[in-house]
Parts: sequence; C-alpha cells; structure tokens
Amino acid sequence: MKKILVISCFCFLSATIYGQDILVEAESFDDPGGWVVDSQFVQQMGSPYLMAHGMGQPVKNATTVVRFPEKGEYHIWVRTMNWVPGDWEAPGRFKLQVGNVALEKVLGKRSGWGWEYVGSSKVKTASEKVQLIDQTGFNGRCDAIYFSTRKEAPPASPKKLKEWRTEITQEPNAPKRSDDYDLVVVGGGIAGCAASIAAAEQGLKVALIHDRPVLGGNASEEIRVHTLGIYGHFERILKKLDTEHYPNGSADAKLDQKKRDDNVKSYENIDLHLNWRAYDAVNENDTIRYVDARQTRTGERKRFTAPYFVDSTGDGWIGFWAGAEFSYGRESVDTYGEEWEEWGELWSPEEADNAVMGSSVLWGSKETDSVQKFPNVPWALPVAKEYEEVNGEWQWEFSRNDLHQIHDAEEIRDHMLRAIYGSFANAKKNSKNATRKLEWVSYLVGKRESRRLVGDHIFTFKDAKTGIEFADAVVQETREVDVHYQTVLEDEKNPDFISEALFYKTPMYYIPYRSLYSKNISNLFMAGRNFSTSHVGLGGPRVMRTTGQMGAAVGLAAALCKKYEVNPRGIYEGYLTEYLSLIEQQKYIKIPASKQ
Amino acid sequence: MKYKVGFITLFVTVMGFAQFGTPNAVPRNTDGKGLSARPLFYVLDWKLGTQLREEPTELAIEVDSLGLQEVNALVDVGGTKVLYTSDISTPVCADGECRLMHIRLYWTLLGDYAGFDPYPHLPLTKHDHDEFRTSDYLKLHQLLMDDNSILKRRKIDELVEKPKEPAMEGVDAVAGATIKEVKESVVDGALYSCYTAWHLVHGPIKEAILKRTKASLEEATVLSMLSSNHPQYQMFALKRLDQDQYEENHDRIAEIFASGIPLVRSFIVKNLPESFWQSQEIQRPFWQNFSTIDINSRSLLLNHLDKAPEAVVENLSQQMASMTKNQLKLFLEHLEGSEKVNPRIKANLMAFSSADTETNAYLVAYFLEDYE
Repeated sequence: MKKILVISCFCFLSATIYGQDILVEAESFDDPGGWVVDSQFVQQMGSPYLMAHGMGQPVKNATTVVRFPEKGEYHIWVRTMNWVPGDWEAPGRFKLQVGNVALEKVLGKRSGWGWEYVGSSKVKTASEKVQLIDQTGFNGRCDAIYFSTRKEAPPASPKKLKEWRTEITQEPNAPKRSDDYDLVVVGGGIAGCAASIAAAEQGLKVALIHDRPVLGGNASEEIRVHTLGIYGHFERILKKLDTEHYPNGSADAKLDQKKRDDNVKSYENIDLHLNWRAYDAVNENDTIRYVDARQTRTGERKRFTAPYFVDSTGDGWIGFWAGAEFSYGRESVDTYGEEWEEWGELWSPEEADNAVMGSSVLWGSKETDSVQKFPNVPWALPVAKEYEEVNGEWQWEFSRNDLHQIHDAEEIRDHMLRAIYGSFANAKKNSKNATRKLEWVSYLVGKRESRRLVGDHIFTFKDAKTGIEFADAVVQETREVDVHYQTVLEDEKNPDFISEALFYKTPMYYIPYRSLYSKNISNLFMAGRNFSTSHVGLGGPRVMRTTGQMGAAVGLAAALCKKYEVNPRGIYEGYLTEYLSLIEQQKYIKIPASKQ
Repeated sequence: MKYKVGFITLFVTVMGFAQFGTPNAVPRNTDGKGLSARPLFYVLDWKLGTQLREEPTELAIEVDSLGLQEVNALVDVGGTKVLYTSDISTPVCADGECRLMHIRLYWTLLGDYAGFDPYPHLPLTKHDHDEFRTSDYLKLHQLLMDDNSILKRRKIDELVEKPKEPAMEGVDAVAGATIKEVKESVVDGALYSCYTAWHLVHGPIKEAILKRTKASLEEATVLSMLSSNHPQYQMFALKRLDQDQYEENHDRIAEIFASGIPLVRSFIVKNLPESFWQSQEIQRPFWQNFSTIDINSRSLLLNHLDKAPEAVVENLSQQMASMTKNQLKLFLEHLEGSEKVNPRIKANLMAFSSADTETNAYLVAYFLEDYE
C-alpha cells in the first residue's frame, strides 16, 4: 500500500481555508531507484526516510505517482536536513521534479530535520510523476513531501510534527490488525533468530519482527561483522545463523546471509516479519500485553499479542517501552568491583559516567583497471583531518560522552560517514590509489553497546574473571573480556573515530539464566547485547555466537514457560532441572552433514 | 597505547639524536654507575644537570639462557628514586640462529616504559645483520611506548605468516613474512628483536616496580608526580590526593586541566571535591579553558553549570560555537531554568541564532522563540 495521504479536511484549521492537501511519505515511493530506505532513526526523527547513499556517485532517481484530488497550484515542502551544515556546499543536495518540471530549488540545505519550501507548481493532470533527483551521491535525505494549496508550512518541532502526522493521517490509536502468538521475538539479529528457531523447534508459534529486509543484525550483509565466540550447547542452531571468520566488512557476508535467511524461513511456525519495526510495547500490571509494529515502507500497522516476549532489539526498546529497569553507561569501579589496575579509568572509572563502547560503520574499496576519481569532500575533512585509509575494520568506531548511542545514532552514523569519505579522499591523493574505488560503505550503525536491561542477576567482569559456574548457567564463553575506548582520550591528535581494545584473558565463564529475563517485567526475556550485564561484563559476551547462545537459551525457556504456564522466573524457581536437561539435549541432536 | 607521548617528545628526541650523531657511534651517557644526561630515547621530562646514581634493588629480569639480570634504581642527589634501569643482554633467536642483543632499558616509578639507550659499539641489528638506523631506533621507541601493542597477546609464531610450501622438492620453504598489522609497528627485518625488547619492557618487571613504589610511597613522591608532565604520573597522583591536597594543589591541578590529555582532564573534572564548586574563584580557571579542552571534558564541566557564577554563564554564551549540539541543548536548558536571562546573554543568543555559518543556530532560535 503506497502511503500517499490525501487530507481533505483539517479539523484543526479554520473552515475557510480548507484545501486538498497531500502528504507523500518518501519511504513509500513506488520505485526508490538508487535511494535506500533508512528506518534506523524513526524513534528520533519521526519516520523512515529515503537516502541517496551513492558513495559520491549520484544515485538513480526515486519515482512515484501522486494523485491530486484537483488540478491547480500547489505549494510544496520537503522534509529533509543538511547532514553536515557548515561553510561549504551541503553534501546531500537534491532536487524535486513534478511531472516534467524539475523545480529550481536545491534541497537538503537546512540544519536539523525540518521542512524546506520548494516553491509552487501548477498541477495540470490528476496524476503526476514525482521524482527525487540526487545531485551528489553523498547521502541526501528526504523524509516526506507535502503538497498544499495554501502556503503554510507543516510544523517543524518533533513533538508538534508527530501530532500533526497522526491527525492528518487520521490514524486510529490501535492497529486494525492483531495476531496472537506463543512468543513474540523483536529484533532479528543472531540472538533473535536463535530464540525464534529454538522456540519454534519446541512447537511454539513464533512471530519474529525485524526492521530490515535481511536477518542477522550486525552479522548481516548490511553491516558485515563476523561472528565470534563459542557455540556452547547450541552448535546446531547457531551454525544455521553464524558467519565464517572473514575480515569484518567482507562481501563474503552475502553468502552467510542467504544461509541464515533460508534457514529461518524454513520454519513454518516462525511468522517472519521483515521490514517491520516495533514502535510500542504496552504493559499492564508489569506484564507486556502486546507489541505494536509498523511496516517500514507502507506504514501498515499490526499488533502482536503473546504471553511471552523476547527483547533482542539490541537497544532494549521493548523493555524500555514496557518500563523495564535498564542501565546505560559505565558503573563506578566499586559498584561491582570491576577494577583492572593496569588500565584504570579506561577500563572502569572511579566515578560512574555515560561513556559506552562505540558504534562502527564498516567499509571497503577495491582496485580497478582504470583511474577512478573521487569528489572533493571539504565537509568531511574536519572529522577525517589528515587520516588516510582505504578500508575500515572494527577499529572504525565512534563514541563520545555527549552522544547517546540510541538518541544520537544518526549523528554518530553521519560522523562515521564523514570519517570514511574524508579518509578515503585523503588516500586518493596518493598516486598509488589512483585506480582505487569505493566498493561498499555501510549506512547502518553497527552498535556495540546501548541499553542493558536489568535481570535477576547482573553479569559482571567478576563473573567472567572467576569463571563461576552458576547453577543456572545456560551460556558459556571462553573469549576474553574485551572493552574498547577511543584513542583520542589519550592523545588529541588521534582521530576521534578510531578505537583500541583492551583484552582481559579469562577462564571459561558462564552466564546465568537469571541474566536473560527482566527483573520487573514478568514476561520479558532478553537476549543480545541488551541482556542483564554491567558495562565491563558486556565486554566478553557481546559477540554474536555468545548472544546467539542467549537467544537459543531463552527460546527453550519460553517453551517450558508455555508448558507449565509460568513466567520466566518460574522456570528458574521451579523447573530448572528440566530446563537444563532440555539445553543439554541440544548437544545430542544431530548436525546435518552440510553444516559440519 | 596508553598515554601516547606526542610528537613534541619525539621531535625533541630526534633533535637530541641529531646532536649526538648515530647511536652506534656514540657512547651514551651511561657510565655503568648512573646517568648524567637524558637517555637517547626517553618519554619523561629531563631537567638539565640531573645526576642520577645507581642503587641496587632486589629486582631482576630473567633472560633466556643468561639467567637473572639486575634491575637497579636510579636516584637523584637527594636519594629520591627517579627511574629504574637494567643493562640487558639477551639472546634473540630466529630460524635457529641466535645472537645477543644489548640494550639499556629504563622504567618509570610506576613500571611503565621510560626509554632506552643503545650500547656504544654494540648497535642493535636486524635479521640480516644490518645495523639499526636512526629511523629504526625511533620505531622501536614508538613500539615500546605502546603498552597495548599487538605483540602483547600473540606468540611470536602468530606474528609470522606460515611459510609457503616449497614449490619444488628439495627447495627450502620461504621464511614466513611478518603479518600486516604487525609490520606497521615493528622495525622492518627486526621482528624478533622488537618482540624480545617489548616483552622485556612490559613483562613481569612492570608490576614488580609498581609494587615496590607503592610499598614505600611518600607524599613527596606523589607531589613530584603531580608536577610531572607525564600523564600516568599525573593520574597516579590525582588518584591519591585527598580533599585538602586537592585544595592545596589547586593551581597545579588547573594547569594539568588546561594542558593534560583528555583522559586526565576528564578524571579531574569528575573528581574535583565539592568545595571547588562552592567557590567561584576556585572553579573559574577550569571554565576559562572551556573552548580549548576536549569535548568529553567540556560535557563533564557543563554538568556543573548550576554552580557556575553568572560571569561564567555569560562567558559561555559567547562560546556557543564551540559547543556540540547536545552541549548547546544543555546550556539552553540551564538558561531556561534561570529566573531571568540577563540582557548581555540574550544579546549573544540573538546574534548566534541569526549567524548563517553556525550549525546549531536553529536550536538557539527555537529557544528564543519559546522564551518570548
């Protein structure tokens, strides 16, 4: 369903100026051309949007047909933003074409998300083709286009805009469609996929909601981080989902993508919702009743009800909306006794703060047979400075204490894009890179750390260091505890987008089941980086085979919850032996030869 | 790469080097009993005229096949410990061939790398027996400064690509090449020497020295560290000051805040005693550096805005261009909470909101719109 909304009546306006107004959501264009749908920042800027991610080459036009209720003159606004305002030409410039007329106004030039007035256009036919014409290939962005017979801009402030959108779309409070499941898993990274498979194999009817077109999250072909860690008890399930150990950013991620998607889709009782993004979770008496989600292109909405939910969103959104206790930032060194004297403040601070490990945006270039030009990027150089590089690995990471990894994720991503384009432009000045061409730059933020939901047990560095084998240990890992920091903290001359890792060698360590369900929301599991852990505790098990183990563990727990009609805590309190035995049995289920 | 020493240190070192010629030709300032000139490769401050003498300690480094090698303290004329040192001779073996490497190493009182001197007439050599050149010594110095080097967690055979199978029977396999990440940080053709030196410097001796220093730590030593420009000394000292000492050393702490590395600055602003924020006079020097300090420290400073004197707030209203978006939001929130924004601040806000070149001008414009 294309999301073009004709607003025939504004009940909040004077009756004398009613007109025929149209709001076109860019993500709903019939053909996005070379523009990509970016739905990462909906919670911050209000909507998915189209972005011209051409790595310096203007992308193919996005086109759609708009049906006008009546012919005549329309004023046009585009919701956009200049993603690097400054003393240079805006990098993401584009134009709008209505019918055969490309409008003069260059768009993508205002600071902060808001409406740019394009001008007026005479509409001569009932249907007009509308096109977005990218001019730079450098991430111009368009959220929506608004046509109105009156010259009155829609509201700019995020709060008023949200109300305006709800009002003009006349969207009812609740989605019309609602489906019931045994388990709703939100977030289709490795943890969410593993949870879905484990639960589905036990016969549960599972909904898996994921806001991207492909599964895997940070391991997907869209982000391309390889999976690390051990399989624990869940080798068979995790081999359906994990990756080879190629360099981060490798195109080989595409091969594992197919394997993963095919495997998850092979389960008939997993109702897979790709390109659906959850936007609310409602709790009554500390129990989540439902999760609401929206299709990222069409805007269609649906309510998912179930007795149990898994938050594998990475950012802990389900827990956050439902009022689950959560933490963010670094605890003081004394909170859980997480000192490593050698690294002092870099490891764990005397005073708690809001620093976290950063997000990566991976990228790469390739040699070609001919000379390749790359545009000047003056707007990127304040970030890249003199830094030169032709590929980006995990060290390309950004975190700063005034930026929140969730609320400021778009700014973080954009900072990394400036780092990448600037560093590559610098490298291109060297004649040895004359034939080198940018091959791939992710536009998705690969996060390491964000909200951590609080469970009955908070997993800490001490647990990893001592290797304590909890009675309810369900996840195991041997990987070092590996905490990152930005190298600019040590020397201001270092680029601010490069990190360094501190590795603490540990024995085998275990994560208890109690770290995988919420302390105060009775029917909420969590798996993935948003499990119950301290900042330093997250350093080890944040990698994706480990988070996959968490997912598989909660998927099995959910099956027992259903069997005995108890909440997640009830399994720990009353059915732990059976639960651990169920996990143990996983080891003896044969792995198909093709997966060995 | 804890607390990298910046380019200036390196520059001074290189210039010093130029004055003394190539290292293998010049007997450095080691007379076997002490130190009377700055080591050739050195990370700390060196005061001209410093005379250090060696004092034996119980510390030693175990060296392959040569047994224990002494680690001595270097003390000044007053008997205060300044450095630790060891004259090392160690075998370096590669592909079954071994040779001795001679080097004089220095550690700080915290057991961190402080520098080294090559031996006169016994230069470091590469795998092919070529002597180290100046640039090679400098690269070794940089490697040793990196206490989180890739060499730390790897065994030597993990740093070399596996030798390729011989193409023809009877032909020796080609010796493995150094892997790419390692190549960037070690001296070309001297992986084994670099590896050996790094592990000597950053081996168990590090902790032993730190333990020794802590066991006999005196206030004078802490204060001397506070006066140093070495970030690790500064941090060590700052962590040991009580509230009274913070107040007594206010001027020095403000100096470090202005000139230190971001990590130390952030520690200072997070750990300043509450009494600092009660006094307009004491907190002023910290605010004075607002526009020149790093972003993280600036954010931490803004957390204390509610205790800042009006003059500071007014001053900040002239520095909105140096604030990030979220810092500016914080600043505007503070103004929003004030009973009345003074006319001079308001004038600054208005000027900023209409400046075309200011990225965040729109935030101030929104603020003024709501404020009206």
